[in-house]
Amino acid sequence: MNPYERLMTVLSGGKRDVDRLPVWCSTRTVTLDAMKIFGAYWPQAHRDPEKMAKLAAGVYELTGNENVSVPFDMTMEAEALGAPCEYFEGKIKWISVKQFIATDIYEMQIPEAPSEFVERGRIPVSIKAIKQLKKKYGGRVPVVGIVNCPFTSVGSYVISPVEFHKYMIKEPERIHRIYKTLNPHYAAVANAFKEAGADVIVFTEEGASLNNISPRHFGEFVKPHLTQLIGMTEPPRVLHICGSLISKSLEIITSMIDCGAEAITIDERTSMSEARKITDEHRPDYVIGGNLDPYNGIHGSSPDVIRDRVKRVIEQGTDMVCPGCDYWLETPTEHIRAFVDAAVKYGQTAKEKNEDKSIT
Amino acid sequence: MGKSEEIFKKLRQAVISGETEECAKVTQAAIDAGIDPMKVLTEGMSKAMEVVGEKFENKEYFLPEMLLSAEAMYAGLELLLPLLKADETEVKEKIVLGVVEGDIHDIGKNIVKAMLTSAGYEVIDLGVDVPASEFVKKASEEEVGVIAMSTMMTPTLMSIKDVEEQLAKKGLKGKVKTIIGGGTVTEQWRSRIGSDAFGKDATDAVDKVKLLIEEIKTAVKLMEKKRKERTRKK
Repeated sequence: MNPYERLMTVLSGGKRDVDRLPVWCSTRTVTLDAMKIFGAYWPQAHRDPEKMAKLAAGVYELTGNENVSVPFDMTMEAEALGAPCEYFEGKIKWISVKQFIATDIYEMQIPEAPSEFVERGRIPVSIKAIKQLKKKYGGRVPVVGIVNCPFTSVGSYVISPVEFHKYMIKEPERIHRIYKTLNPHYAAVANAFKEAGADVIVFTEEGASLNNISPRHFGEFVKPHLTQLIGMTEPPRVLHICGSLISKSLEIITSMIDCGAEAITIDERTSMSEARKITDEHRPDYVIGGNLDPYNGIHGSSPDVIRDRVKRVIEQGTDMVCPGCDYWLETPTEHIRAFVDAAVKYGQTAKEKNEDKSIT
Repeated sequence: MGKSEEIFKKLRQAVISGETEECAKVTQAAIDAGIDPMKVLTEGMSKAMEVVGEKFENKEYFLPEMLLSAEAMYAGLELLLPLLKADETEVKEKIVLGVVEGDIHDIGKNIVKAMLTSAGYEVIDLGVDVPASEFVKKASEEEVGVIAMSTMMTPTLMSIKDVEEQLAKKGLKGKVKTIIGGGTVTEQWRSRIGSDAFGKDATDAVDKVKLLIEEIKTAVKLMEKKRKERTRKK
């Protein structure tokens, strides 16, 4: 099986039919090493489709990490809504938003037709890059398009999060309006990615974990609208939320599963074994991926420790070996190689264990 | 129950449930009744924010609830502050606070500011996207003991390191203590870049700031003692 077949099989209900677990990154897959070796640096690679495609494939080419993904950061949608971005010319830094521009949906620059929205800002660059990636890697390595959903992209980059969070109690209608207005536009981005050749769409809603909001608010604001958004797009889809998803007696894993994506990915702040247990009780055989800490677990650990951690997360029941979030930019290439090699080595045992389970 | 205690209870209730107007109203009533403003702060605001902090830790409260409590507290505090300044006898400890360069997410910073203010500290808020040099400059100008920095984003963790490096360059490390916190900050990161403390949440941040200030005071006392001993020997 090649990386494409492996991931697509897992995401279409065939997690027991693969030769071993897929190993990929469901969020931003970029490193400094990749920039240097392939001559595709930030910020140019955010604006030039050719450079973007080169960089998107860099980590795969260097380490065998099994995906190529765009875009590279979380501000693409916010910028398309009018948020001014700082690209840090001449430096290699993550794009940041210079200021919050709105307090309500009416103050954002939103075209009526979703098809016009996909022509905004850096969205066309990602679309063109996906076309190039598909041409080069199609059918071999999964091409992934990432969409940062409204709660996070608006609530962290367009409206001040201080105000945004207060609306949940004081003016809930504002949050509903934001999601309702933007869902067709964000779905259009996902569908444009798909049409350009993306095999998998990852929806990230990183601001909606239990670190920030209660399960009650997740159920009231996030779940219904995310379900609608995901429902407007074609499978396979993955939902990723960083942060704690289980805390004390509370959890939002079951709600995430109910949003309708084919899989969820989680970070290191949620225990994989607990997530596995809750998932299996709620929806047996549902696919979860995760969850090595990209900073302490991969960037900051020796290859031996990384291999041990991969082995452990497989034992805890992950279906896809992934870092919990974006690879840390400075991650040494050999660390990601150790991460991938360990998944290749131990991921097969897991598959055999699965077979035992299905026999008994 | 005395009249003041009744007012304090009402005030705490207003802060805990995040009712801004009610909090301002009760604070004004307390002032009108001639209650010592410092007591209004300690018995009302501080105690209420402690409860809010506990509720956050226990996962009864999340960011929206906590932000509304902070907003309510500020509505009352605004009325109290002018009065507090007038009859202040003891010099309050100053803290410089800000979100580091490259990040404009001030959600955690605002909550910590509310908790520190309610705990009686003078907080010099530098706002968001604060360059490392600005933290260091303000800290020496205002002669503060503690710099508190936060970031919500992973990429901007490096900006905290920049502040530590600038402090070291200026020979201020150890004299000015640092505390860091925010969505992506961890104890591991603290130990790696050599900050003095990590606040895992707002309540923890206040406790750690107290400890840092005690450490500074002890160090100053020790130095004075040594100096005295030296002069005696002479």
